[in-house]
Amino acid sequence: MSDRTENLFLALPGLLLLALAFLLPIGQMLVLSVEGEDGPTLEHFSRFLLDPFYLGILWRTVRLSLVITAICALIGFPLAYIMARASPRTRLWLTIMVILPLMTSVVIRTFGWMVVLTRSGLIPTLLRDMGLAERNFALMQTETAIVIGMVQVLLPFMALSILGVLTRIDERLEEAARTMGCSFLQTVRVVILPLSLPGIVAGSLLCFTLSASSFVTPSLLGGARIQVLAASIYKSVTQVLDWPFAAAQAVILFAGILLVLAPYIRLTRQDRG
Amino acid sequence: MADVQLENIRKSFGRHQVLHGVSLHVASGEFVSLLGASGCGKTTLLRILAGLESVTAGTVTIGGKDVTGLPPEKRDIAMMFQSYALLPHLSVYENVRFPLRMRRIGSREEQDARVRAALETVQLGHLGDRRPRQLSGGQQQRVALARAIVSNPKVLLLDEPLSNLDARLREDMQVELIEIHKRLNLTTLFVTHDQEEALSLSDRVVLLNAGRIEQEGAPGEIYARPRTGFASTFLGSANMIDVDVVEEAGSAMARIAPGILLPLSPGERARGAATVALRQEDIMLSATPPGVAATVRTRVFLGARNRYVLTLGDRSIRVLTPHDTVFPDGETVFLTIPPERVRVVDT
Amino acid sequence: MVRAAPFPLRIAGIVFVVLTGLLLLAPLIVVVGVSVSENQFIAFPPKGFSLRWYQEVLSSSTYLAAGLVSLQIGLLVTVSATLIGGAAAIAIHRRQLPASELIATVFLSPLVLPTIIYAIGMLMFWSAVFGSVSMMTLWISHTVITLPYVVRTTLAVLAESDPFLEEAARTMGAGRLRCLWFVVVPQCLPGLAAGAFFAFNISFDEAVLSLFLRKPGLTTLPVQVYGQLEFSPDPSVAAVSSIMIALTILLMIVIDRMLGLGKFASP
Repeated sequence: MSDRTENLFLALPGLLLLALAFLLPIGQMLVLSVEGEDGPTLEHFSRFLLDPFYLGILWRTVRLSLVITAICALIGFPLAYIMARASPRTRLWLTIMVILPLMTSVVIRTFGWMVVLTRSGLIPTLLRDMGLAERNFALMQTETAIVIGMVQVLLPFMALSILGVLTRIDERLEEAARTMGCSFLQTVRVVILPLSLPGIVAGSLLCFTLSASSFVTPSLLGGARIQVLAASIYKSVTQVLDWPFAAAQAVILFAGILLVLAPYIRLTRQDRG
Repeated sequence: MADVQLENIRKSFGRHQVLHGVSLHVASGEFVSLLGASGCGKTTLLRILAGLESVTAGTVTIGGKDVTGLPPEKRDIAMMFQSYALLPHLSVYENVRFPLRMRRIGSREEQDARVRAALETVQLGHLGDRRPRQLSGGQQQRVALARAIVSNPKVLLLDEPLSNLDARLREDMQVELIEIHKRLNLTTLFVTHDQEEALSLSDRVVLLNAGRIEQEGAPGEIYARPRTGFASTFLGSANMIDVDVVEEAGSAMARIAPGILLPLSPGERARGAATVALRQEDIMLSATPPGVAATVRTRVFLGARNRYVLTLGDRSIRVLTPHDTVFPDGETVFLTIPPERVRVVDT
Repeated sequence: MVRAAPFPLRIAGIVFVVLTGLLLLAPLIVVVGVSVSENQFIAFPPKGFSLRWYQEVLSSSTYLAAGLVSLQIGLLVTVSATLIGGAAAIAIHRRQLPASELIATVFLSPLVLPTIIYAIGMLMFWSAVFGSVSMMTLWISHTVITLPYVVRTTLAVLAESDPFLEEAARTMGAGRLRCLWFVVVPQCLPGLAAGAFFAFNISFDEAVLSLFLRKPGLTTLPVQVYGQLEFSPDPSVAAVSSIMIALTILLMIVIDRMLGLGKFASP
């Protein structure tokens, strides 16, 4: 047996698994999305893209994802910076703080928000006591709730992505800027921010992708009236049982994500080449 | 132990040919150094012998048996790597025992005895329970050596094993290698780029250049009589000077410049344009004639010796002298060199 | 905490970290809090203190059944993902296959695809070819999505190992299989172990895949919780969730022992 054969044997089970259980299902979904009674058709796509109801869902999904991503970046950047410059012990605890929610089930985390945001929950009660809200104020089943819940879910991704880039920035660059007269905030704006841009971009793409395709949190916190794309897909599959339509929606979601990712991938390819 | 026969070894990596038909015989028990600069193919040749690289053409024979197609584990060899390659998850003892386990040599008791003997040979008997990372570089080196000799292989292969050690440790290890070789009489192939190391350790030195054997022979022989320009510069530090070999008063002289002549040995046949090699350590300097006049440009103090950079006409000549021979910069000195030490080489 | 920053900014920084910490950990704290509430209404802060919901959960056949399904799948997936992913990582690390980079990308690709899209594809594919879903479907699909994690952690450990160890072992008489077993696997063991625990954790917590690929009798624990949440939950849901959180913390401690969590501060 040669080296190459041995390595082929090692990689083969995984490659087979991915080919059969990953690529084929996606292929099947693509096929199903154009399935019609008389042959391949685009009617499922047109049904979605020409209906203002569904377009509204799509727009809501995109809009919320952009908001969520922006908030994650705003919070994630300072958090990552503090983590990067903290002492090793502090950094460890901050890492735990960030990773622990990441490793718990999204259902549990969303449940926690449900408790807090419901009409008699902690936050609305607080807001009412402070006079900032009316008697029936509830955050549940609003887009705000979705945003809050999703930010909590996705913030760790953003923070870790930026942290990865920040740890590679030489601290002496900051020191040099300070000796040249920059204040702390100026240094951050002029030195750190541009250099951490790759991490921010990567984190943003990740957050946007995960947010746009997210199902559990928006469904539980938004309720049946506020649907995102993923919820619509779920409905098509389990309630309406219109699988081709669900497949078409999934393809639209996938295409949308690829559209966002494509320029980024091409940019990084060029860098490497 | 066994003898080794490499027959017409050719090796290419893709389109790049590294070895161009190398043939080499190593007698049983012989210590041979493969010497050369980086990229000359010496390590590739060693790895081919080990079975870690395949040959593009040619045969490898160990102890009369053709092993060309065999993988390393089926050849009765042992190899010492430049980075030691000790298994970090095993103790020193288990590291040394590893070849015996893999080759299923001896019972548990026999293996134990052999491991202890090998560790004693390298003077590490007391460190058997340690992990490699707890040892110093020199100690790790010895463990690698013990591991290489414990299975009493037919051929011992060493790939620049001393390169990572500092000067003092290198010296010590060189002495140990010589003593171990004398005692165990293993057929040994040693790869190095350090000509002093090769000359001091080996029964025979094989000088490789760009995938071909440039010259081979006993250390003294190859040092005193390098046959090519490359060999001259590689072994010993030589000044290569283009001259005109002329005849004057019946004997051959090398004319460096009009009026500046170096006597050559009486039997020298070459005439006309040629290149001579003058070893830095063969040239003698004096404050007074006779000799060829040159000017001192710089003196580099090396501790035991001085290296002088002299200007001779439009040429630069380097000379090694004992440490107490001191000439100030700008001084005129006179060079002499025994005629038999002036080597006319084919460039 | 942050060096060279002016004092007021440092205070702001601390406040910021505390608030962010609250944001990140609040749901978990709330859930645990609710689980010990005395009455049956879900409220935070909880009224009273009682462990009755834990008792209910641990004696509830639905929860136990769901927990068993999750546990079974989790263990199966851990084994399959570790074996397949570990082997693939070794092959990729050796870089002797053509296009090793490409193969590495292929193995990491499930990370890029949103789970819901994969879930749909899997459901449609399985239904078309095999009919109704089963434990096998969950096993296979969970393995696919956890595979990249095992590959990544194992590759990270292998990247720091001595590249000559395998060759040395071969010259010492170890054939290919024995070389793998005695040298390569011990080298990447921390990475394999960490990957295994990641695989278990992800599989156990996985909700979306299990939601689409379920049928009566094939409900995982997260799906069970989700179902309860859609209707009228009582604190028993919180009790189950708290048990799951405790399990996650346990796994995190184990992973930290194996690899050190600091390593995940960089991609």
